[in-house]
Order: sequence, then structure tokens, then C-alpha cells
Amino acid sequence: MKTKRLTELSLLTAAALIAFIIEMRLPDIRIPGVKLGLANIFTVYAVYRFSGKEVFLLLVTRIVLGSLFSSNLSAIIYSLAGGMLCLCGMLLLRKIISESYLWLCSIFGAILHNTGQIGAAVLMTGTPAVLAYYPYLLVSGCIAGLFTGLCAQFVVKRLLNFRKGKTE
Amino acid sequence: MTKGVKLAIAAAAVIFLGAIAAIIFLQRPAQGTWVEILQDNKVICTLDLSQEPDRTFRVEFPEGGWNEIRIENGTICISDADCPDHTCVHTGKLRSEDIPIVCLPHKLVIKYCAPPEES
Repeated sequence: MKTKRLTELSLLTAAALIAFIIEMRLPDIRIPGVKLGLANIFTVYAVYRFSGKEVFLLLVTRIVLGSLFSSNLSAIIYSLAGGMLCLCGMLLLRKIISESYLWLCSIFGAILHNTGQIGAAVLMTGTPAVLAYYPYLLVSGCIAGLFTGLCAQFVVKRLLNFRKGKTE
Repeated sequence: MTKGVKLAIAAAAVIFLGAIAAIIFLQRPAQGTWVEILQDNKVICTLDLSQEPDRTFRVEFPEGGWNEIRIENGTICISDADCPDHTCVHTGKLRSEDIPIVCLPHKLVIKYCAPPEES
């Protein structure tokens, strides 16, 4: 059983990294920090399928390897700050929000991710003026979070049907 | 739909609409012509864009790296940089009073400021 869990987690990490690399190829948006966050699809899915510790491992591995692949190591602080806040929030929210409203949990995850990012940016640059980007990040975060959340919702639904089909 | 979900939807809607309102509020066009360039939250120079001749200069980042700043017809932008994400270059010209040009890897910020008091 343990090996199966580990394999599933590794598979999710690999899939998240692929999504991350595909997203790097998309054209840049003019506002710093605005991203679709495709890799978040797998984090949200994992939040509802695995324990907190397991999702933590998945996320940290994804962020560290992701920054290595994109050769943007200075971005790791922002990704980690955002990612950890997002993860803590979603782990708490999964107690309130049931799996059928997974997309809602994802929106809050994205909002928290952007909050952590901008917090880290303010601390790193020591410039509160960076906060001017926060509303932009919030709007884009809500939309991106809804999108990735719906994607994860479809994955859950498909997998459920798939498992049903297998047992029948 | 449980009470928690309803509350969460309401909270998300409030955040979304609040952020849109904030964006509209932040779209103030530039009022002055003075800009300051900050590195690591320290002002490294203050310029009056209406007086500056067109030119391009480099700002070095002490830990390695540079940003090339271009002043042209009273506008300022980062025209080139060796940071990995190039977001500062993509930001384009400085337009809004409230929204600065930021290069996070080099901790560089360009924003409008109040004219310095004459001494």
C-alpha cells in the first residue's frame, strides 16, 4: 500500500511538473506574478486525496524541481511563500468545503498563493509600493483558481467513473 | 450546499469585486513628472522626466546583474535586463501614479514621487 501511495504521489508530481513546463512556454503577461498556475490542478486534487504531509512533499518537490527546470532560482522564495500559504489554507478549507465544491477551495488557494507571493515580494524588496500589484493578482488569482479548480473537479469525476467501471 | 460553502462563495465574490474596485481606483494617470529609482528600498536617484534628455543608462545590481533604463520624450521604462523573468521589461513605460515598475530579482523599483523641496 505504501509503495502504491508513493507511486501515485510521484506520478502526480511528474504530471504537475509537465504542466508547469508547458505553462512556461505560454507568452508572458505584463503583470509580475500573474500566472495560470496549471500545476495547481494537481495540488488541489492531491489536497482532497492525500494527507497533509503527503501533499506538502508533493508541493515542495514540484516547486524545487520547477525552479531548477526554469533556471529561475530567485523565484523559489516567492513560489515557496505562496505555495505554503496556499497549501495551509486549502488543508483547512477541505474540512469546510466538500469535494463537490473543490473549485471553490482552489479559488481560495490561488488567492492565498498570491497573498504569500506579494508578502514575500514586499519583504524581499523592502518596498511597500509593490503592493499596488496586489489587486491585479487577486483578480487574476480568482479566475485562474476557478479554472484550475474546475480542471481538478473534472479529473476527480473522471477518476471516480473510471474506478466504478473497473469494479463493475 | 452547506452554510460553510455559501459563506466561502460570498467571501470569494467580495474579494473578487473588491480587487476590481481597487484596480479601477488605482488607474490614476501620472500627475507629476518626478520619478525615483529605488534599489533595496533605498533611493538611488530622483529624476525630473520633463527636464531629462533622452538617454539610456544601466543600473547595476550589487549581487550581479543589471537593468537598462531608457528615458525617452518624458517617459521612463526598463528597456533591457539580465534578470531571468524579464517582467520588468514587459511592464513597459511607467504610466500610473500608483503602479511602479518592479524587477523582483534585482530589487529595483521605479515609481512617481513628489518633487523634491528646493533648498
